[in-house]
Amino acid sequence: MRVATDIGGTFTDLVCLEFDRKTGKPTGVKVAKADTTPANFEQGILDTINKGKVDLKEIGFFAHGTTVVINALTERKGAKTALITTKGFRDVLEIARCNRPDLFNFNFVKQPPFVPRFLRFEVEERINYKGEVIKALNTATLKAILKTCKEENVASIAVCLLHAYKNPKHEIQLLQELSKLTNKIEIIASHQVTREWREYERTSSSVLSGYVLPIAKKYLNKLEEKLKAKGLQDAPYIMQSNGGITTLNDVKSNPITMVESGPASGVFGAIALGKVIGKKDLIVLDIGGTTAKCALIENGQVKITTNYKIEHSRTEAGYPIQTPVIDIVEIGNGGGSIAWIDEGGKMHVGPKSAGAMPGPAAYGRGGKNLTTTDANIITGRIHPDYFLGGELPPDHASIAEASKPLCKTLNGSKEAIAKGILRIANANMINALKLISVNKGHDPRDFTMVVIGGGGAMHGADLARELQVSELIVPPHAGVFSAFGMLMSDIRRDYIRTNVLTLVRQQKDTIAATFSEMQKEAISNFKADNYKEEDIKFTYYADLRYAGQEHYVKVLLTHFSRLTALEDIIAHFHEEHEKHYSFRLEAPVELVNFHLVAEVAVEKPDFPKMDASGRTVAEAIFDQREVDFDDLGKHDTPFYRRELLAPNMMLHGPAVIAETATTTVVTPLHEVRVDAYGNLILTLQKTA
Amino acid sequence: MEKFTLEIIQDTLVAAGDEMFQTLQRTSMSPIIYESLDYAVGITDAKGELLAQGNGVTAFLAALDSVVRATLEKFNGKNALEEGDVVIANTPYAGGGTHLSDVSVIYPIFYKKELIAFTVNKAHWTELGGTFPGSVSTVATEIYQEGLHFPFVKVKSKGKINEAIVDLIKANVRLPDSTLGDLFAGIAAAGVGAKRVIAIIEKYGLETFKKAKEDFLDYGERMCIEALKEIPNGVYEGTTEIEDNGFGEGPFPIKAKITITDTEFIADFNGSHPQVKGATNLAFSGLVTGCRSLFKAITTPRMDANGGAFRPMKVLCEPGTIVSAEAPSAVSVYYEVLITSIDLIWKILAPLIPDKLPAGHLRSVCATFISGMHPDTDQFYIQAEPLAGGWGASATHDGNRGQLSCGSGESYNIPIEIREMRYGIQVEQYAFHNEGGGYGEFQGGNGQYVDYKIVSDGARVTAAFLGEKTKTWGMKGGHDGSYNYFMIIRKDGTRERHSLGTNIFLEKGDVVRCVTATGGGYGNPNKRPKEQVLLDLKNGYITKKEAKEFYHI
Repeated sequence: MRVATDIGGTFTDLVCLEFDRKTGKPTGVKVAKADTTPANFEQGILDTINKGKVDLKEIGFFAHGTTVVINALTERKGAKTALITTKGFRDVLEIARCNRPDLFNFNFVKQPPFVPRFLRFEVEERINYKGEVIKALNTATLKAILKTCKEENVASIAVCLLHAYKNPKHEIQLLQELSKLTNKIEIIASHQVTREWREYERTSSSVLSGYVLPIAKKYLNKLEEKLKAKGLQDAPYIMQSNGGITTLNDVKSNPITMVESGPASGVFGAIALGKVIGKKDLIVLDIGGTTAKCALIENGQVKITTNYKIEHSRTEAGYPIQTPVIDIVEIGNGGGSIAWIDEGGKMHVGPKSAGAMPGPAAYGRGGKNLTTTDANIITGRIHPDYFLGGELPPDHASIAEASKPLCKTLNGSKEAIAKGILRIANANMINALKLISVNKGHDPRDFTMVVIGGGGAMHGADLARELQVSELIVPPHAGVFSAFGMLMSDIRRDYIRTNVLTLVRQQKDTIAATFSEMQKEAISNFKADNYKEEDIKFTYYADLRYAGQEHYVKVLLTHFSRLTALEDIIAHFHEEHEKHYSFRLEAPVELVNFHLVAEVAVEKPDFPKMDASGRTVAEAIFDQREVDFDDLGKHDTPFYRRELLAPNMMLHGPAVIAETATTTVVTPLHEVRVDAYGNLILTLQKTA
Repeated sequence: MEKFTLEIIQDTLVAAGDEMFQTLQRTSMSPIIYESLDYAVGITDAKGELLAQGNGVTAFLAALDSVVRATLEKFNGKNALEEGDVVIANTPYAGGGTHLSDVSVIYPIFYKKELIAFTVNKAHWTELGGTFPGSVSTVATEIYQEGLHFPFVKVKSKGKINEAIVDLIKANVRLPDSTLGDLFAGIAAAGVGAKRVIAIIEKYGLETFKKAKEDFLDYGERMCIEALKEIPNGVYEGTTEIEDNGFGEGPFPIKAKITITDTEFIADFNGSHPQVKGATNLAFSGLVTGCRSLFKAITTPRMDANGGAFRPMKVLCEPGTIVSAEAPSAVSVYYEVLITSIDLIWKILAPLIPDKLPAGHLRSVCATFISGMHPDTDQFYIQAEPLAGGWGASATHDGNRGQLSCGSGESYNIPIEIREMRYGIQVEQYAFHNEGGGYGEFQGGNGQYVDYKIVSDGARVTAAFLGEKTKTWGMKGGHDGSYNYFMIIRKDGTRERHSLGTNIFLEKGDVVRCVTATGGGYGNPNKRPKEQVLLDLKNGYITKKEAKEFYHI
């Protein structure tokens, strides 16, 4: 049996997959949900294990995704952290990049650094951009630094020296010296977190890593202990932001890699699903309570980026973390997003969310604002029996009350406002979906869209129509798909290094040498976890640009091992550049970052198939009600129970398919087919 | 229902603006574009009314729509623009002008043969020829010394590139690859925006598009007038000065009279000093752009910019002053005059609206241009960048540290690690300084030192740091801050302090120390809580001596 648990903002999910080890055939799926327990996250996991009646002694594989890192960061619950850096540069962390996204607000307040100035220390040393030592490291001041750290109760020290991405020699020396002097303080150096250039981004990454290191380690240790006590044999695997899992030991040494693990596993689940149904080009949309996240998958691959920031917005610069993260666009638009009117009389939806408490007006918990969920109810798209997991019917009086101010200001009916909310929410999501597709040179018509999360299937059909994607897929268990995705992930580590050089034949040896050095590092890391070298699969990427440009395009190097194909790589880059930016140049091509992906496949079950039921699709209909499909008109619409839909069934829109965790809206233009895996596949039956 | 469609069209236009902005950033070859983001992109209607704008810098707010209007003035009647045409312009004295380095790309959009909109961008190209590298000179006396001038010329005609212009650029600039790279990046970005505008029209129809844009402009005006009502009506006056024109002459006064009613905001600069010898002149269209950014800051800072939101604002000034300079005056350091003008209105209005405007900030771009030969690659380089410093304190918080001036915005510093590789220059320190000032109940943000060590012979520096003799201003009892200046520390230890300097020769081992000001303080220093002063001391933001002398601790 295989188990995955995923801690989310509101709920902790568990998915348990039973399968026949001989045939790989899944024999059953179990799903359990419990409240997330922020004080000790591991309690929420134990609750789901109890609720789902899972016996850990029988579990061969346990994967886990956690928000412990992002939580510690956003709630400022990490350790008191100090920084040691090159003499003359302790203010790099506070000066940051000097930008002011809130362009016209002259009374802005800059986000404060995670380490105050009195805990930012300097050591004499200097390495130049070529990696040459131009001033030797002087460790004489370390004792005094540690004395201050102890007096100030510092629990963690981050070390980041200039040009350490090129040559980490001084950082390594510092680590050795510091570990001789103390064993009470956690220490992490920049080269252990990232080998990319840009001193502010690297310093920020190191500091944030140091900040979460003690709390994450403690959590992981406790989790391991408690699972062991409950009978789990092997240590759990941990989900990372790069879409792969890794071993507990590995993640303990650099826990910042878990920062965006939740969204990553959903995307990887979609890739795994795509593989079994033969779809390699996907747009994944995950709509939750507060946000919508989307990612683009091309040829079965999702882009990994290290250009990641927390608390970054249109008005705040945010804090960068150079760790490999799946390239996701996230916007403040979910089921709980609030509709509001600005001083000029224009209606907006989000980014403020009603959350779970008080929640949308329909919850009847005192929510005074109309939300996207309420708009879906007003238009009749959610069945009252299935609202809030069927726990209670929507509070229509509360909805009517919350609509009043909007109706008055905009001089329209509740129904008109609801349709407006849905249009604006959909337009916001379309803009986000375009950011990952059209704006990057992709034509959505070549893609299949996969919608997950509680709200994905509510809006999916409208969005798919607007984007003209060929097909829309609503997988089974779409509400807990992130946990599901973890069961389908392999062990993956990303190694990225900045080493700028021009792509000419003379550099071939350097290119090969750099990759093989990175490969050695990967092999030794995997060996430390008892994996065999021959089981590691390597994939090579390079971040390329025209000489003189700053931004790069990531290019897959398919022929790296032979290295005969520099011309092919350059030609491929020209193509990619033109696709992204609409032109190509005659200029020489530079390689900026080397990117090596090392993966070890884990034994996985097949995607569970579903049996045909022998019933007719009509038997799944449980109600008939009026639903407003906006520009497609109001229709008397059949409501289907999802659990009664089985492979090979077909139905036509208008229709609504209800299940506990989500609702699929099928417009009058769509038709639905259920495939062998129980996926709902929506396609346009005719054009408008 | 139609109302929501109009809003969606407007949001889509804003999204198209964002996309153009990113395209330009990602494809440019000039660090001043891709790091400093010294550019803006926009969409206007067929008459040049601003519909959407994406900004890196605040200072281009009037540049985009007026450059389109100036384009339409030149190309009309028989000479009208045709599908596939692209115009470039950098005339400082005409609509949208600033200095020659800022080049606009104007891209007319046609739908079924009808001109329906423009996409436009304006970006600082690192090199455009002229007497000195970087095309900026503090000792220019005529525009002819400041580089190539494109007086609204077609770089593309009916879709075909004008090779003559390309050849002309190639032959007249010091970094032709980079300059042409910027040109093509500008055209590509405008093209991306044009595609999106066409897609909107194809989806919603031309009539709906036109209605949406009118609605959007009216909305901007409404938002702006609502905000204007919050500012006390009255007539307010003030004076400031440009300390030096690069020839040791000065100071030159700038005067402003601001009239505020519930529906109007008039900035009258009549009576300012006549245009000066030297490059510290601002053309009228630059003055308008400066006034717009301050006006936006006090009215609709968070709203997506559009032309309607500027309808209530008027700028008045007779021609030929230091803030309304005419041909052929030199203007390459216009940005210092622009920021001084913004700072003047800021200082006049801050006491009225302390929730929107803090005490005085560094008030200079502190732009430096260091050029020379790279010690390892032996290639010619120009390092051009704005510098960060301290901002003023306000009624609610201490001044920010490490921020670029109000003329910048979503602009970034150049990372040390990238800079050292690209230019070979070595950075010795990048740190806050203790040059004093800014004391108050809320303390002004510290200015900073950046030390550049020159590692190959024959380098040169051009820079303009206004505020070398005038401190940043404090407010409501808060002390003034400190000065901007740069200093050459020669190998032998001699020090030369400068405010404006052009083409100063540097030898291997010399250090250029850039010093940016500490911002002004707010409120009486006696009201600052003791524990806050002690924390500042612990952090080294102030010295023991300062704590004792100004906070009595």
